Order: sequence, then structure tokens, then C-alpha cells
Amino acid sequence: MTETKDKGSPSLSRRSLLKAGLATGGAAVAGVTATGARAEGDPVITEIQDWNRYLGDGVDAAPYGLPSEFESEVVRRNVPWLTADAVASINFTPLHELDGIITPNGLCFERHHGGVAQIRPQDHRLMINGLVDTPLVFTMDDLKRFPRENHVYFLECAANGGMEWRGSQLNGCQFTHGMVHNVMYTGVKLKTLLEEAGVKTNGKWVLPEGADASHMTRSVPMEKALDDCLVAWKMNGEALRPEQGYPLRLVVPGWEGNMWVKWLRRLEVGDQPWHHREETSKYTDLLDTGKARRFTWVMDPKSVITSPSPQMPISHGKGPLVISGLAWSGNGRIKRVDVSIDGGRNWTTARIDGLSLSKSLHRFYLDIDWDGSELLLQSRAMDEHGFYQPTKNELRAARGENSIYHNNGIQTWYVQKDGTVENVEVG
Amino acid sequence: MSKLVKSLALTSALVASAMVAGSASAGDAAKGEKVFKKCKACHAVGDGAKNKVGPQLNEIYGRAAGSIEGYKYSKAMIAAGTDGLVWDEDSLTQYLKKPKDFVKGTKMAFAGLRKDADMENILAYLATFSSAAPSSGSDSSSAEPTAEKEALQTAAATSAPTSNTREGGVFGLGRKATDAEVAAWDIDIRPDGQGLPVGSGSVADGEPIYTDNCAVCHGDFGEGVGRWPILAGGHDTLTDDRPEKTIGSYWPYLSTVYDYVRRAMPFGNARSLSDDDVYAITAYLLYLNDIVDDEEFVLSNENFLEVRLPNEENFIPDARYEEPHYAEKSEPCMKDCKADPIEITMRAAILDVTPEDGGDDSAGVGAVD
Repeated sequence: MTETKDKGSPSLSRRSLLKAGLATGGAAVAGVTATGARAEGDPVITEIQDWNRYLGDGVDAAPYGLPSEFESEVVRRNVPWLTADAVASINFTPLHELDGIITPNGLCFERHHGGVAQIRPQDHRLMINGLVDTPLVFTMDDLKRFPRENHVYFLECAANGGMEWRGSQLNGCQFTHGMVHNVMYTGVKLKTLLEEAGVKTNGKWVLPEGADASHMTRSVPMEKALDDCLVAWKMNGEALRPEQGYPLRLVVPGWEGNMWVKWLRRLEVGDQPWHHREETSKYTDLLDTGKARRFTWVMDPKSVITSPSPQMPISHGKGPLVISGLAWSGNGRIKRVDVSIDGGRNWTTARIDGLSLSKSLHRFYLDIDWDGSELLLQSRAMDEHGFYQPTKNELRAARGENSIYHNNGIQTWYVQKDGTVENVEVG
Repeated sequence: MSKLVKSLALTSALVASAMVAGSASAGDAAKGEKVFKKCKACHAVGDGAKNKVGPQLNEIYGRAAGSIEGYKYSKAMIAAGTDGLVWDEDSLTQYLKKPKDFVKGTKMAFAGLRKDADMENILAYLATFSSAAPSSGSDSSSAEPTAEKEALQTAAATSAPTSNTREGGVFGLGRKATDAEVAAWDIDIRPDGQGLPVGSGSVADGEPIYTDNCAVCHGDFGEGVGRWPILAGGHDTLTDDRPEKTIGSYWPYLSTVYDYVRRAMPFGNARSLSDDDVYAITAYLLYLNDIVDDEEFVLSNENFLEVRLPNEENFIPDARYEEPHYAEKSEPCMKDCKADPIEITMRAAILDVTPEDGGDDSAGVGAVD
């Protein structure tokens, strides 16, 4: 089977990969001819193209820039059968099309419970009430006068992978893992705002509430609220998108996305949790015993290979192949990602590239020389606390198949000889 | 165009269209606008209306059934249009009375309008957005409030302070919330009864309120329509292959029902029910779940805490990190980790439920809501 690259000597193995490619010569793969050499030469080189001769658009053709027309496939997608109605539904980030660790704002998956509220920032208020010395109201301009911080965090829906508990269902990491995004938030620490109102000594919980038609609420323990939560108004440097809670949202790093209340309008301090709908009827994990775990907030270590994957098959035939993926953990940094190309029998540690930030997506790569044989690709993340990603069968053994939420089991992609990829499970 | 000229032009355009359209027969468009709240979760009408769950309803009079481009109709609705169904007062009346009888196979989940007055009023309201609607003498009142509301909002915006400072606090930013402001937004209820408003409602009171406001999605008996949530039944199913997690079978606390209905229901018309209505609906949901069996049962803030839901004891703390795969924290195996040959045991391609893969219409297993 295909050899994995020796990570100790990247330049050497790069050279040997190139050599291997030369050895197989032009025979490479039939059908891959777009850039193949011809006797006369490649026409995009030998002939003058329109874009070589004629002028393009001037500045201001698109005052807010848009992606190239050739990237029209790079969009969020939904799974219509999952929910009753698009206004209380979800769509998925096209992870297979992205690289690096930052998700572009327009591609961050959406989850709404009452549609996207459209709120003029002048009409938005944030109230703090309950067990505080002084109940307060802030305008957006008030909030922007507090000291600010910037942090990159992933946001993952607790139900990411929820459709895969009983087995492989959806062909594409967009659908199996796309309820996650990773952006840089700008905002004020929740702690700063709570201190401004003065939390009474018996204040142990915070209830954030949204201004949209669902009036989303969740109970957040005070310890987390004072630790790293943010009240944010910018993502990736620009205002939050309406579908991400414009003008204001809560950021609860490493914890399930449902708690990151959008269109945030109120923070109530209390001495007990509220046990509201989204933390009782939903976002509780039903076990095979009939018992249900509640307040399962942390998103466990997880990873997925984004390319190759079912929506991103191998189109270039054998030879150098970049295996690329994402890893993350709600506990902190990712320490290591191991990749298997043989269904979990043998593992090679992948290379983490770029920033390694706490509670952020991490990008990993494994560069291999594909011999064209079938592969069973898997990735396994380990976080800085030593927790590593379990297999799907380990999760099922511990919880049964009715949990819906917190499925962080190891994903298997079956790469066939022609480069097509399928979502499978292995025994 | 200056702002003033623009708004004048808008107002006159609305008035003009209202004059042309008038309103259908005896209906009152202003009352119809209220009835339309039942439709608003799925349908938009008016300036810039777009298709939502249902098609937009501008120029509905004279429109062939199933003809809005870009909206994904049921096959039945497209066939009806092809067979010559055009929306007019008569066909709309028949359709809205019992949608599923008039167009068998329509995907509109709405059960139908029962009251004749509601029907006349909603037709009058829709007529104000249709140039081809039959005219009558009565006036449309839907145009002016829009302009009025805009004016009010502008006024509110200019008078609102952009930033506040105060004595005290660490930074002295923001201002003290008034009691009225806190009361307006703080409507949350806890299992210990904190937040329950004074009020009451009976099972018998709840039945018609539920039927009018809830049954369109949740079914007459809480059985759920389509993929909308099931509210009743499901007892002893939590260990089944397909558990039914209802208020009676799963929810731990009744306070959650009151809180959620009051804050978010009916879907698309939140905060429209009175506190007594919410007590009545909550009582009716207890009845649908066989937790009370007397139709005269009255639920109030006085007796609320006496009612316990059967599944309360089955909620336990998070114990994920005691599961063997996490508890061990051992170095994972790297070489020759599996003795048996590795075989594919399951393939997504066999189910074929991936969107845009020919699998759009088939439903997979699971839900995220």
C-alpha cells in the first residue's frame, strides 16, 4: 500500500515524490488532460486569451467584493429532510472547499430557531438584570467604550454529526461535519459587563437571551461566564452577519453552539439554572439506559479529513497527494493529529500548519505518494489535556445510538481506485 | 431623490394601489391583516415580499396556481395550475377553507380557516396587494399604518441616546434599567416557580386556543404534523430504537412548557398570547399527555408546582469523561492496531439521502432541532 511520508525529512521525500511522478511518466491517468503538454503547446499559453487583451472591471465594480464567478459551488447547503421548516433549520459550512483555519463570514453555517432577525443597531439594547447591584441597559455605542479583545474560536453545533449516530448517512464532510466555523471575534469580556453591574454573591448562573422571535435562552454557569466568554459585535474584522446575530452575540468558547446566543439582548444573573427548552427537551443526551445527560456543554476533541472527501474526490491520479483536514477541541489546543490510510490499523502523525490557538480549528496535512490503491482514510485528534478522539463504536458502546448530540467519533472515508470517495464505517 | 420626496412617492403609490385594488366583497382588510398572522410564518406579502416556506402572495388574484418561478411547489399544485386553476375569490375561499381537500397533495400544512368572517377579511387583505382583485367601495387601511410606523421608527431612532454614562460602576457606562423595562423583558420561568405570573386557565379553555394556534403544526392531539415537534404520547419509548421525546415522555419540568410557549409560540407570532392563554394551553398539554384527565382542571400560579412531569428523575449530570475512551487518557496505538482484516461495514451511498445527489426527496434518520 501507499507509503506515508517521513515527516522528519520533508525536502527529501518531496524530491522522491517528484521522481516517482516522473517514473510513471505521461501515462499518469487518462482523462486528466486539461493542462497536459501537447506537441504545439498548451493553448492557454500559445494563444492570446481574452483576459490577456481586453480590460477588466475598474475599481468599485463591486464595492463589497465577491468571490470569483468560478467559485459558485462554494456555498452553504442544507439537508431539507432534517427539519420541518427553513426558518427553524440549519445549513452547513463547505469545509471541503476551505483551507487554513479561518471560515469566511459568508460561509459560516447558520442555525436559527425563528429566522434571521433584522435589527437596526440604534434599536438594539443589552440589559443586565437579576442578582446584580444595579440593573443596567447598554446601547451598542456604550458597549464599544469598554476595553476590547480579539480571539479566534470555533463554534460547533452540539448536533454536528448527529445524523451519523446510527451509521454513515451523508456523503460529504460538509454534511457530516459542517456545523462548525472558526472566526476572529471582537468584543468585550462578559466578565467586564457583569462587573459593571456588580454580581451579588449568590449569583451563580447567567441566562443570556436573544431578541429574535425565538427569544433563545440558555443557562451558563458563572464560572464560565467569568472565564472566557465574550459579548461580540465583529467577526473577522467586520460587523457580525445578520445570520450570526447582528448586531451582538454571545461567544462561549469551546462550548456547544446553541449557548452562543445571537441577537443578544439580555443577561440575567440567578442562583439556579433555568432548565429552559434548549437545555431540557433539546441539547440533552439520551443514553441507551433511558437516562439523559444534561448540561453537556464542552465540545470534545474532534477531527475530519476535508480533502480528499466525498465532495472533493482525487482528480489527479496517483502520485503526490495532499491529505488535508481540521481538528479542534473545546478543552483547549490540539496537541496532535494522527492519520491512518488503512482504516485505523497504522497511524502517522500529521503536520499541524499555521496557528495553534486554544479552542480554535487547527489545520493539519499529511503529504503522501498515492499508489492508486484503495484507501480507508481516518484522522484522530488529541488535545493538550491528553483526551483523544474515540471511535464511533466506542461512543455507541458508552451511550447507545439515540444521543443526537456530541458525536465526535473518528470518521472514515473510503477512497476508491478512480479517486471517488465515500462515507463508510469499518469493522 | 430626497428622503421626503421618496416617502411621499411611496405613500401615494400605496394609496393608488389600494384604490385600484379596493378590497374583496364584504371583508375588512385591516382585520384581515390580523388573520394573516396565521399565514405569516410561511408567506410574505407586500413590498419586496419574497418566497419563504410558502410562495409570496403579491398579485395572487389572477395568478395561475403553482406559477411563481423559483418556488418549489408540490407536484399537486403544479398539476392544478396546468389544469387551469387560477386564484380568484371563489377558488381562494375553497382552498383556504380546507387546503388539503381542494388541492390533494398540497404541501401547505395549514389546516384551514374555520370562520367565514376570517375568510372574508383575509381575502380583503390579500386583495390590497393584487391589482386584479375585484373592487368594492370599502377602504384598505393597510397602507397608512406602514408609513406611520416608518415615521415613528425614525423618530425613535433620532431620540434614542447613542451612549450613556452614570455614576458608579467600574467604567460608569450604560444607564440603570427601569422597573418597567426589566418587567417587559424578564419573562423567564424556573422550575421552582420563580417568574410565574398571576393567572389561570383550564383544560377546557385551552382546547380552542390550542386548536387555533398550535394544531396547524403540532396536530390536534399533539401528534405533530410533518416534521414539526410531537408534543404528546411517547410514554416508555426512551429506550426504543426511535424514542419519542414529548412533554409527557421526556421533558423534566412543566415550567419549561410555560416559559417556552410564552416566549416563542405560536411560531411566527411570539408574545401574542395572554398569560391566562398560556396557562390554558399548558393545562391542555397536560391533558393531551394524560397527566391530568379532568377537562375542568384549572392550572394557575397557585397549583403550578404541584404538577410534576414523569421523566424528571431521569436527567443525570454529564459523565462523559468517565467513559473508558476518555478516562484512560492512554497513548493511542500507532502500529498494527487491529488484528482482524478491516472491512467496510456500512456505506452512505446505499442510503442515498445526501442532498443534490439524487437523494433530495428521501428522508434520512435523525433530527437536529
